[in-house]
Amino acid sequence: MSEVQVHAAGQRPSAAAAGEGCGRLLRVRVPAEAICWHRFFGALQLALIGLLFLTGVLMALAYTPVPGTAYDSVDYFQFSLPFGDVVRGVHHYAWNLLLVVMGLHLLRALVVGAYKAPRQPVWVSGVLFLLVIPLFIITGDLLPWDQKGYWSTQVRFSIIASVPLVGDFLVQLLRGGPLTGIVALTRCYVLHILLLPGVLLLLIGLHMYFLATRGLSGPPAGEAAARPQVPFLPTIANRWLAVFLASAIGLGLAARLWTAPLGDPADPTDSSFIPRPEWWVLALNQLVAIFKGPFMVIGSAIIPGALIFLLAALPFLDRSPERRPSKRRGVLLGAAVVLAAWAVLSVMGYVEHFVQPEP
Amino acid sequence: MPKRWQVALFLGVLMGFTGLFIFSNGAVGAAKQTLTAVYSKTAPAGLDDPAWGKVKALEVPFEGKEKFAGKKAAVSAKAVYTDSEIVFWFNWKDPTLSVTKEAWKFDGQNWARQKGDEDRISLLFEINRIQNFATKGCAVVCHVPAGAPNAKEGKFGTATEAEKGDLWHWKAARSDPAGYADDGYLTKIGDTKGGRKPDAGKGGDKPNITDDKTKPKYMLAPGKKLGKHNILLAADAVEISDYTIFKAGDVITYRMPVAAEGSFGDIKAVSRYGDGAWTVMLSRKLNTGNEDDVAFDPRKKYNFAMALFDDSKDYDSYDSEVLSLEFKK
Repeated sequence: MSEVQVHAAGQRPSAAAAGEGCGRLLRVRVPAEAICWHRFFGALQLALIGLLFLTGVLMALAYTPVPGTAYDSVDYFQFSLPFGDVVRGVHHYAWNLLLVVMGLHLLRALVVGAYKAPRQPVWVSGVLFLLVIPLFIITGDLLPWDQKGYWSTQVRFSIIASVPLVGDFLVQLLRGGPLTGIVALTRCYVLHILLLPGVLLLLIGLHMYFLATRGLSGPPAGEAAARPQVPFLPTIANRWLAVFLASAIGLGLAARLWTAPLGDPADPTDSSFIPRPEWWVLALNQLVAIFKGPFMVIGSAIIPGALIFLLAALPFLDRSPERRPSKRRGVLLGAAVVLAAWAVLSVMGYVEHFVQPEP
Repeated sequence: MPKRWQVALFLGVLMGFTGLFIFSNGAVGAAKQTLTAVYSKTAPAGLDDPAWGKVKALEVPFEGKEKFAGKKAAVSAKAVYTDSEIVFWFNWKDPTLSVTKEAWKFDGQNWARQKGDEDRISLLFEINRIQNFATKGCAVVCHVPAGAPNAKEGKFGTATEAEKGDLWHWKAARSDPAGYADDGYLTKIGDTKGGRKPDAGKGGDKPNITDDKTKPKYMLAPGKKLGKHNILLAADAVEISDYTIFKAGDVITYRMPVAAEGSFGDIKAVSRYGDGAWTVMLSRKLNTGNEDDVAFDPRKKYNFAMALFDDSKDYDSYDSEVLSLEFKK
């Protein structure tokens, strides 16, 4: 359609393009099982990320990234502003749940062989989420400027500093000085609200693009019959909205019933504070405890790095088109062994840090 | 996938995961004694209310300071809260009942103030965050090390206007007989004055002394009764017109408790001394609406510290470490 024709129809070119885009979106049809009762981890993951963005923006409106004042601003937001406890609670519970859902999403894809050709890029981009989401948690940890965030950050800095050659430089880059203060807080804040969200949006875009171009995985036994299709708009969009609303309500209720924790204000002079690992790093922490001294790198980097590498490389290692779990016992047995080891390490870590009395 | 991409992917993932681990060493917290206020529909009516039997006591250790240095004490503490009120229960051993507070004694010729102070317990909460109070407690406001901005000999307070504490001060001789604990607050220490201030309203005690400072000015008014531990309340006192009525050995209160009004009297007190121990119950609205009081929100945790005074003045005390108060429904 030429510009003259568009104007003749009373429309600007951009409006016409937008209209065409909407029209194309309305015509998009996807398998009905894209979001359904037995397949919703991806949708839930996206809903949780959406909730984290929304609640994060609301909290940022009241947040002051200055040591001391940061704590007061979080305290004020949570306990003095209407629904502040709900907003912060949703943010807190959403990231915890996101880690679980992310793991389940990946596990499901692994079990049904969804990583196989032609969906390898979908799988690899999904594995990359495993690296980015924890960085959000880690940078967000320092923001309330409470004892937990401050001292766990100190521990992380000391571990980074022990890395040969680049350790001190990296610490300097993150901390911006000899002490963890306003510069470190500002850098974590910028990473948390600006740079990492950018990376995450890029990853989500990539994941969706690969999903759209490589297709949704079908039944493991193969495509015996044509899969029922539904329009993306409004059917799938509405289903996702339902997931979003259900998670928002569920997490909102949880936040109201169980107030999100806010520890004591950070006291950099209180070296008696004992950092203990959170639930999601108990296994990793235990790995480091096993490999001590010069061998620490085995537990801290080589084993976890190798596992992530294996996970990312899985589609290229297991090239057979077979997707039925019963025919892929080797891969599933390997995954089960890793999961069992992970669970055992987590339990060991839990017992060591939470059950045994402090020395 | 080309080999170089595989290597790049491996290195990227390895670095990423190393970073993941490095940053993921979370922390949960260090040990700190927590007093849990248990929810109840109605507040305990008194010291022996059966409700107290259902609440687990927290045994709080105290370390002696100044003249008590090297000595130890302990307080059993319980707390209950309702929709509108919080109630604390404290019990501690004290072999001597001390309520003298320099009371006048007549020897048949002259009046003299007796030696002897009173037993007390005090609690300090944060109204606005006091720098490092959460970890160091009274050490940052009461027993301040030399060189600190609020270090002034013989006085205590906070370092800045923004930091403010709520001071609950139960006094066996000067507040308890009138049924309350002094409600004060702690603010920035001045050049000449301490940062300890009384809440708005009336209360405290009135000195019972003549202008020439040789004898008591007031006695029990006719038809009135002495308060707990034979202490003369200011409201029940009348000016002495005839000093010949007194005989040797007569004792008259020197610091007469004044009935509290306004924010000063927010904290109601009930107590008993028996079997060599004090049992004290303090109650207050969760939120008094007064700026000089901490407003308790059951969703939050509060830091507080306590001090015991055994027949002693301000600096001669037994102090607790900082404690945490939480609410459980």
